[in-house]
Amino acid sequence: MATDFWSSSHYKRWIVDRATLRQARSDDLQYVDNPEHLAFLNIFFANLISRLGRKLQLRQRVIATAIVFFRRFYVKNSYCETDPFIVAAACCYVAAKAEESPVHIKHVVSEARTLFGEYGIKTFPTDNSKLAEMEFYLVDELDCDLTVFHPYRTLMTLVGKGTSAASDTEVGEAEDGPRYWGTGEGKLELSEQAIQTSWFIINDTLRSELCLLYPPHLIAVAAIYLTLVFSTTTRAQIQASSAHPSSASSAPHAHPDPTRRSSRSASSSSKKHAQPPDLIGWMAGLNVSMSLVATIAQEIISLYALWDRYSEDAGAGEKGSLRHAHALRGSRAAKEAGSRSGSAEMSEARDEGAQGEVRITPMFLVQLLLHMRQKRMEDLSHPANGRPVAVNKMLERTQAAG
Amino acid sequence: MRTPEDNHDYAHESSQRSQRAGGRLRRRTAAEASQFVGNKERLYVVLGQVGSGTFGKVFKASNTANGRLVALKLIKMEAEKDGFPVTAMREVKLLQSLRHENVVQLYEMLVCKGTVYMVFEYMDHDLTGVLSQTQFEFTEAHLKSFCRQMLAGLAYLHHKGVIHRDIKGSNILVNNRGELKLADFGLARFYQKRRKSDYTNRVITQWYRPPELLLGATVYGPEVDMWSAGCIMLELFTKKPVFQGTDEIHQVHVVYKIMGTPTVEEWPGMASLPWYELLRPAEPIPNRFRELFKKWLTPAGLDLAEKLLTYDPERRITAVQALEAPYFNQEQPPAAAPVGLSSLEGEWHEMETKRERDKKRKREEEGGGVVEQE
Repeated sequence: MATDFWSSSHYKRWIVDRATLRQARSDDLQYVDNPEHLAFLNIFFANLISRLGRKLQLRQRVIATAIVFFRRFYVKNSYCETDPFIVAAACCYVAAKAEESPVHIKHVVSEARTLFGEYGIKTFPTDNSKLAEMEFYLVDELDCDLTVFHPYRTLMTLVGKGTSAASDTEVGEAEDGPRYWGTGEGKLELSEQAIQTSWFIINDTLRSELCLLYPPHLIAVAAIYLTLVFSTTTRAQIQASSAHPSSASSAPHAHPDPTRRSSRSASSSSKKHAQPPDLIGWMAGLNVSMSLVATIAQEIISLYALWDRYSEDAGAGEKGSLRHAHALRGSRAAKEAGSRSGSAEMSEARDEGAQGEVRITPMFLVQLLLHMRQKRMEDLSHPANGRPVAVNKMLERTQAAG
Repeated sequence: MRTPEDNHDYAHESSQRSQRAGGRLRRRTAAEASQFVGNKERLYVVLGQVGSGTFGKVFKASNTANGRLVALKLIKMEAEKDGFPVTAMREVKLLQSLRHENVVQLYEMLVCKGTVYMVFEYMDHDLTGVLSQTQFEFTEAHLKSFCRQMLAGLAYLHHKGVIHRDIKGSNILVNNRGELKLADFGLARFYQKRRKSDYTNRVITQWYRPPELLLGATVYGPEVDMWSAGCIMLELFTKKPVFQGTDEIHQVHVVYKIMGTPTVEEWPGMASLPWYELLRPAEPIPNRFRELFKKWLTPAGLDLAEKLLTYDPERRITAVQALEAPYFNQEQPPAAAPVGLSSLEGEWHEMETKRERDKKRKREEEGGGVVEQE
């Protein structure tokens, strides 16, 4: 919205460091056995907001904004002291308004009640005013910074589809000043399928805290990078171009190249369809820190590793994700089918995955949240016990678990 | 100047209103109740009310830490219905992305005791108020400066892809340094530069509404602001709104009476507008614009105003083009900001003007002469 990212609140106030994120989770950490479970909550709530958003017929961009709002809210708040379900609903409601596609509050309340009911959440209020109150609190916690930049726009601009994707870009955003991530010279030419893959990867990054750590255009470049590596066709192109003698000999740029191939076609600006696109040269020509892009790519891969240990009905929250796309293609169909039965069972919190790992299910996380909340309440109601809370709680939990 | 009793009146009136509204969030707002707004780090003391628009009251306040004057615009919560108003959200987002010397600056947002305030730089007057006072007389150069500043603000907005959609005297603020700034973005929105979108037609206060909107257009762009700017330009000289229609149909006729009835050659797109047939005049009316305004404006001024008040939105001059008009760059005198405004006593906002007018009307015991447009 604000056409200049660098002067936006997104850049100035809402890109935080890891220490801030650790601090944000410090209260929650007291109530979980395994800090990793909090990372699963990131996946769970992103999926939940996506599902709710789709029920409300929100565009992907609006859903992404809702998830970013949710992340920002939990930079300042703890899961154990809030009801993340009503926060999630409020995020959808506010994002819809902020992105100029408002939905009626009643609609949000009824859809949220139905959806959350599937997870055993029966306490979601029927009263509109509760959600309106939460909205107010949310807007306050967001410091009224309602403008969110997303990697989608960078992606579409980089692949030269900036205007055709207007339906999914915020009005007024289609145009901006000189691009800060690069010259745009030697435009990237990607197949529709590769663009789709990048788009899915960007959707997937919302399941992590990347949107709080890195500017969106870097996330977009990382997504493109991973697409180039994942996709067999683009990989073949990279190999073809690096085998090309002229491009291999002319490597004038000393960019730290994450692919560890030093090749840059000298004629990158004049190249046309006839020649295979010089993807590495294009990457190197971007005005971004390649080491940061590599870090982000690494984090995305870690997210996938984590996510593999999470079981949710594949058709539910993960539509529009790369993982889901793969599952549909059958590569993971068997695994998903195996875990689906597990997640359906309310009592069974964890089930054993194919590799013998502990698999995390939504039901487990819902139980975890309730437990955290309850323990926190107990702690708050008995503050004068004089004992360091963290240590004792840890002990108690171990005993309870044992 | 305002008296303490005035303050008391406002507090009384508004607390009554909020009780009526029965708002969950604003049973009683801090500004009205305590005269103090904010928290420990940012505390403002409310000095009085300076305006009341469709979207909420505006208070003058000063920052207790640095004494800086601000305008606090209270965001009216739609009681329990739909929470935070979409319009307010839009205005906040828009203003956060704008920064220009001729656009009022949003310093920060303030959430206090269940009420949301937008904190703006303080402006001493609004255009309606300042034109209605008689202490300070504006010269030709001053008025040219106002006109140029308004167009510079609009050029910036349109460059940023924002249509204001409510340009009128009370939304154009002026300070004692003679600076003019566009304010109240409650109706503004982003538009797609390459593609005109379908928007609501119910925008822009009637007297400043361009003919295409009066004829029902829903597909429009920044040209709508340029018509309003033309109205304001004339108003700078005549000191009162030029097209004062009593309702939408009358409004069209008031425009026709001055600008003449548009011909198809002048405005080819006219015939395809929804209400064209409905509002078609029985008899063609000649254009009397120059005849009526030549006593107020110089020849180059008339040229510019006429280009702003072009019927066909496609041919209407843009803000950037207007800034290059001979009126600013060739014709004497050059624009000069009315810096002498600091010698003006009091603060002039439309609200005071209205109050004065009401008093005068009471005195003269006139009934229903002037129709208020809000």
